[in-house]
Amino acid sequence: MTQTRKRIPIERVSEFVQDGDSVWLGGWTVVRKPFAMAYELIRAGKKNLHLVNNPGGPETDLLVGCGCAAKTETNYIGHELFGHPYNFRRRFEQPESNQGFRHDDWTVATGSLRIMAGAMGIPFIPTKFLRGSDILNPELDGFRDLRGIDPKVPKRKFMMLKDPFWEGEEVVLIPAIRPDVCLIHAQEAGEDGTVRITGGLFLDYYAAVAAKITIVSAEKIVSREALEDTREENAIPGEAVDAVVEAPFGAHPTAVHGCYDNDPWWFRDYLKASKNEGTMQKWVDEWIVGPGSFKGYLEKVGARRLGKITADPELSYSATIKRRLDKLEEVN
Amino acid sequence: MAPNYSRLEMMVVAASRLLCDGEKVLVGTGIPLVAAILAKKTHARGMVMVMEAVAFDSDPESLPFCVADPRAVYRTTWTPTSAEVMCHFLQSGKIDVGFLGGAQVDRFGNLNSTCIGAYGLPEKRFEGSGGASDIASLAKRTIIIMNHEKRRFVERVDYITSPGWKCRALDWKSDVMRADVGLDGGPHAVVSTLGVMKFDPSSKEMFVETYYDDLGVSIDDIRHMTEFEIDLSRARPMKPPTREELAVLREKVDPEGIYMRY
Repeated sequence: MTQTRKRIPIERVSEFVQDGDSVWLGGWTVVRKPFAMAYELIRAGKKNLHLVNNPGGPETDLLVGCGCAAKTETNYIGHELFGHPYNFRRRFEQPESNQGFRHDDWTVATGSLRIMAGAMGIPFIPTKFLRGSDILNPELDGFRDLRGIDPKVPKRKFMMLKDPFWEGEEVVLIPAIRPDVCLIHAQEAGEDGTVRITGGLFLDYYAAVAAKITIVSAEKIVSREALEDTREENAIPGEAVDAVVEAPFGAHPTAVHGCYDNDPWWFRDYLKASKNEGTMQKWVDEWIVGPGSFKGYLEKVGARRLGKITADPELSYSATIKRRLDKLEEVN
Repeated sequence: MAPNYSRLEMMVVAASRLLCDGEKVLVGTGIPLVAAILAKKTHARGMVMVMEAVAFDSDPESLPFCVADPRAVYRTTWTPTSAEVMCHFLQSGKIDVGFLGGAQVDRFGNLNSTCIGAYGLPEKRFEGSGGASDIASLAKRTIIIMNHEKRRFVERVDYITSPGWKCRALDWKSDVMRADVGLDGGPHAVVSTLGVMKFDPSSKEMFVETYYDDLGVSIDDIRHMTEFEIDLSRARPMKPPTREELAVLREKVDPEGIYMRY
């Protein structure tokens, strides 16, 4: 029987993640990223994580910048229109900053197929994508020297197969993603782990089912009755979730549909700081290490800023927030 | 009198004109979003705007910041995941138009959004494909939109993120026509800050179809800003934006200047 009370305090999240684990962080680029939990991993000093979320956003750039992630395997790492992922970029552009970091490039469609294969428990899946692209060029395989050696890395990136069933087309077989841990932030969750997500599920359902351990933080923990009343809106069954955390603003600075928008002030400060190692380290000390907890972090962000990004209940985003960083006005 | 609009605005208007009413258009983040919304608010009300992360038939009131933005969800009929949009609809050939940006394009319409320089030690590393490679592979036609600079319109892209007409063979050792690796569709147009380029039906090489004469652009400007030799013999002046196109773009699509940088 499914354990019915899975609530843990946020401080315990890092106990579920081991150094070297492959980790899927839910959401999509600058939307619904599990930031409160990512900050916990950084405070706990996790090392050698292998990030497999497709796609990655500021949380991925941050984990790379903090030295928590040694490998990334994804279709995108960035902040959308806010600016570039400088920590990630530095690992390539400056050999002295590389620190043994490895990256493997994929695409949105194939990342989706790979995590679906993981959820289905099948080892690989065929696709018609990737043909003609350098993404499969064996000489440009970022994980080439890890294949067959690192147990978290598939033994090969792909294999061509002539369709044996129908027209005989050459298709590409690509490996399943099998995360050790999946971290998701959602609008609501029950004590039993049932997850409710609005405004786009992204690949979170598949990742939760595929991962060995799934932890969900939610804006609000709600009663079983509330989840049963409108059960069609529930996105992930409690069966696929091992622990739940209540964390209001737990995706800050990314947007959560119906709750809050992107925090442009965070992106402005982060982008400026992440341009070099020294200022990046200062930023981490000031915003993650210094406050000591997610509660302390939110106090530092401040109620006024959190009020500014709060979503309009009808629109589900903030109609007043300005998103141009070069024209941003101070709040405090 | 000098025109009262910019090259960036002309580029967005020119791209929006290539989208047709009734088409299913899979739109990438950035300038493609602006041009697609402009089309939907002017001549292509019935265009189905699809965003890979979250929305099928989106009709946003406020400009989304990315294809997962709650603004994309506000007015839509279905909130699928990328599994349905990309692996079901796109992979099975049900998307009419792919609409993409990129860092580099070559004469065959190959697109690079991965890195400048050598892949292992690049001068500039970018965010990566996202869905671009998928969209360029299996949409029925692809429209590319990007600034026209010599370092962007190159003889050969440093990395083929998204295959054009002549791309990598299945042994990844040579280049072949895209049909030879099983890809349908292909690049339809490249819309730039200087003009609109199309691809010759037989050679599959890029040629200049229109240039922004009204803004002082000459075909020589395009020749100078393009690294590879480009056919200019078919070039004719582009029709300037209408008052309506400019008004909708400035007042309804991007009043904050998020992409248009007003």
